[in-house]
Amino acid sequence: MSDPKKVLIIDDDPDFVNAVEALLQSSGYEVSAAVNGKEGLHLAKTQQPDLILLDVMMTERTEGFFTLQELRRTPGLTNTPVIVISSIYAEQPIFRVSPEAGWLPANLFLPKPVDPGRLLEEARRLMETAPAATGGRRDQ
Amino acid sequence: MASPTMHGTVPRKDNLVIVIDDDEIMRLSCEQILIKSGYKVETFGNGHDGIKRIREARPPLLVVDIKMPELDGFEVINLVRQIDPDLVIVVITGYATIETAVDAMKAGAYDFLPKPFTPSELRLIIDRGYERWRLTKEAQRLRREKEEVEHKFVTLVTHQLKAPLVAVKQYLDVLLYSFRDQLPEKGAEWVARSQVRLGEMLTIIQDWLALARIDRGALCDSSVTTEIASLVTEILHDQQPPPGSKDVTIEARVEPNLPCVFGDSVSIGLVVSNLVSNAIKYNRPGGKVWVELSSAAGCVVLKVRDTGIGIPEDSLPRLFEEFYRVRSQETQDIPGTGLGLVICKRVITELGGSIEVQSKAGEGTTFEVRLPIAEKKTVSEARQLHESTPGERK
Repeated sequence: MSDPKKVLIIDDDPDFVNAVEALLQSSGYEVSAAVNGKEGLHLAKTQQPDLILLDVMMTERTEGFFTLQELRRTPGLTNTPVIVISSIYAEQPIFRVSPEAGWLPANLFLPKPVDPGRLLEEARRLMETAPAATGGRRDQ
Repeated sequence: MASPTMHGTVPRKDNLVIVIDDDEIMRLSCEQILIKSGYKVETFGNGHDGIKRIREARPPLLVVDIKMPELDGFEVINLVRQIDPDLVIVVITGYATIETAVDAMKAGAYDFLPKPFTPSELRLIIDRGYERWRLTKEAQRLRREKEEVEHKFVTLVTHQLKAPLVAVKQYLDVLLYSFRDQLPEKGAEWVARSQVRLGEMLTIIQDWLALARIDRGALCDSSVTTEIASLVTEILHDQQPPPGSKDVTIEARVEPNLPCVFGDSVSIGLVVSNLVSNAIKYNRPGGKVWVELSSAAGCVVLKVRDTGIGIPEDSLPRLFEEFYRVRSQETQDIPGTGLGLVICKRVITELGGSIEVQSKAGEGTTFEVRLPIAEKKTVSEARQLHESTPGERK
């Protein structure tokens, strides 16, 4: 009945992208991927995904942070749920940032490698509780 | 580098010798002797001018007379040591008593030369002093390079070593989660084993990186405060049972209205999660873990007690050594890096606290951590601090 939900992965590791793409596709999501922040922003604007998975340390150590801030300044993407997935959270198990924290406005942080069950569960939850994301798509 | 010969020249950079002596004849003869050996020489008739020049030029060597009007040699030594502790100072003295020589050396002179001296005696001492200066500088350069390499190595490990492991583990995780039904039975079993082994390796890298960060001063921040009660509650809530854990129940007892402690939530969190994860790992099937937080004498006390296998008495003193693990029948199948308690101890020491352990083999272990209370910080102030800290951590 409804179109499959769209997930955008922004990550510079092609193998990580491959694995997570397979996971999401096997759960019925439509997946696209970008290898850097710039390409990611472009795809996010043109495809209006329902969820974005974002790496932090790509070519630049903090590329993900800036990408996220830029996403939040882009009309139509200000409320799209974003999960930051990075191995820096695995080193520091309680690297905690509240979602309201202005400097890193992600909805959720997950350690990398990401637990498949946890990712699917959180993805479902975030897409269900993000009315503005679908609102953004209706604007088109 | 060839060592300088008695009459050979020493054509080097950084070969300036400052000579301070109120006696003009001494100044001239020192200059002539040392120029012949390849040094650049500048002479000064009083301490003030010489010190001024040392401040500008940062020479390797100073030759200074002890007995001078205005500033004497000892005063000059004291002042120039403050400008450049590496400056090699040779004292020339007319009254060559053991006492003056000893005093000069005590004040920081490298060597002394009694008057009258021969040209070759001066050259010998200056050449030796120069060699000493050169070696000091060389050692400093090597130390800096070593630190640089270590720092780069940490970055290298983070990215180059960890990223491939993460990618491989991610494949295996998804393979087992989404495509398990397509795998032969043996395949699924081996993928599961590979996940565990990769996980062990990632833990070693993470522990090792945490230690490197503590060494660089990049992990523990005692200028901020943490609301330890809610941190512990949150960690217990999120704590994943370590692989192979045996149905252990955790009971928490937190004293109400506990004050904040000094330290950032990341490093304190490392301590809490390491101790709790140990208490689960080294427990027995169906065992218990008690986590207690209370306050006592300027400290918040964290107690982690378990009903586990305990630690043999002879192992207790070695518990906080790097890579040390208790070896026994019971521990051989428990994965661990031997770095967890080292991290705990290092973090707690950096934050001005203490850690103690009591254990009885076969009965259980209690770790007791004390962290200093951060006075006059209300919970809401701490929360603000706490939310602004993670940005600086890398």
